[in-house]
Amino acid sequence: MGKRVLVVDDDPDIVAFVVTVLEENGFTSIIAKNGEMGMAKTVEENPDLIILDILMPKQSGIKMYRELRSDEFLKKIPVIILSGIAKRTFLRSQEALTAFGNEIVPEPEAYMEKPVEPEELAEMIKKFIA
Amino acid sequence: MEILLEVVGKNVGTKKLLFVTQFEELWFDALESLMDLREAGFNHVVFIHVVERSKVAMRRGKGYLKDEEVKLKEIANVRFIDWAESLFEQGMEVGAYILVGELVPKVISAAQEEDVDLIVTGYHKKGKIEELYAGSEIIEILRRTSKPVFVHKYMLPSGKVNDKPFEKPLLATDWSPASERAVETLINLKGVIKHIEVIHVASEKSLTGSSAMGVQKIRKETRQRLDETCEIFRAAGIDAEAHLYIGNITEQINRAAQERGASMIVAGTTGKGPWKERWLGSVPQKLAEESEFPTLLVPAEIKTTTT
Repeated sequence: MGKRVLVVDDDPDIVAFVVTVLEENGFTSIIAKNGEMGMAKTVEENPDLIILDILMPKQSGIKMYRELRSDEFLKKIPVIILSGIAKRTFLRSQEALTAFGNEIVPEPEAYMEKPVEPEELAEMIKKFIA
Repeated sequence: MEILLEVVGKNVGTKKLLFVTQFEELWFDALESLMDLREAGFNHVVFIHVVERSKVAMRRGKGYLKDEEVKLKEIANVRFIDWAESLFEQGMEVGAYILVGELVPKVISAAQEEDVDLIVTGYHKKGKIEELYAGSEIIEILRRTSKPVFVHKYMLPSGKVNDKPFEKPLLATDWSPASERAVETLINLKGVIKHIEVIHVASEKSLTGSSAMGVQKIRKETRQRLDETCEIFRAAGIDAEAHLYIGNITEQINRAAQERGASMIVAGTTGKGPWKERWLGSVPQKLAEESEFPTLLVPAEIKTTTT
């Protein structure tokens, strides 16, 4: 079985696109449609990589990313953010949350703004779990 | 009083606001006017836009308008991303739903799924006939949810904007369970509210046949009950003042809001039968649809939500 990648996105079209890229490159995909479900799947499945959207129902990728990076075991899982939300916004939001007394979290391993080409995404995934 | 103090004690943690927009009445500036609610713990905003089925439905010779659906959803997505970026940068939590279907069931379903604390919507005026048969969307939402519904009127007819709607509410009470719940809702907004005007409107009919002494007795008793409600607010740290009005309920509530310089009207909703409401109208419906003031409507009881 190939390495396992958790895809957290509420848009079925994006999920289908990412899953296709993963399968064509020999990876196994796990799917979650929001941050809340994403955290549960992370704990349950312990994936090798997480591809994470930001703007989702129930729990955003910003909150899920914070929870991941605040967990002793889960913080080692590499995260690729794949979102329509700009990287600048992501960083500013983390700064704002830190200013409110939350702990400082490191930047994600990669940040890709939608849309991306399949080759570009495949290349990025392989950087972390080749 | 014990129950109310418990409610005050619950005024912690993150609360969720569901912002319903069809990109007609409510835009980002209207949402920004609600940012004071962060003082009351509202740090999570969920946007919802529903592409109405009729806009993409089957047309003769064209079939289902899939391209139109994609276009309308993407337009909403672009807007929500822009809005979300502004809120995320302030350290807020944001979510979004862009759905196709009928507005009211989708709103109810999202409110239930997200377990929101407040639903914010605008008022989209329908034609008389359409409203008679399809009903008011706001009243339909209120009938199906136990969550308070805030009908925001950001742009006043005068052209001015209401940029601090929660600052000085006017509570119209009849001491019904819904009114009592409205009191609890306002107490939970402590920190945002500076002053509350509490009023009761007695109908002229209720005074008919009473002697002068009888009328004064009613006035005294009502005034006493109003003062008791004010005391509950004061005990929670919110300044409050009581007033008694007599006449047509909706007209007098609007008049009081104007006289007292209120920023919005708050009322409980009792829930008449759907047909009675459509034909005769109700005070909450009239306030939501006819008053120039934003209106916070609070249902009486916890409902088992159906979509």
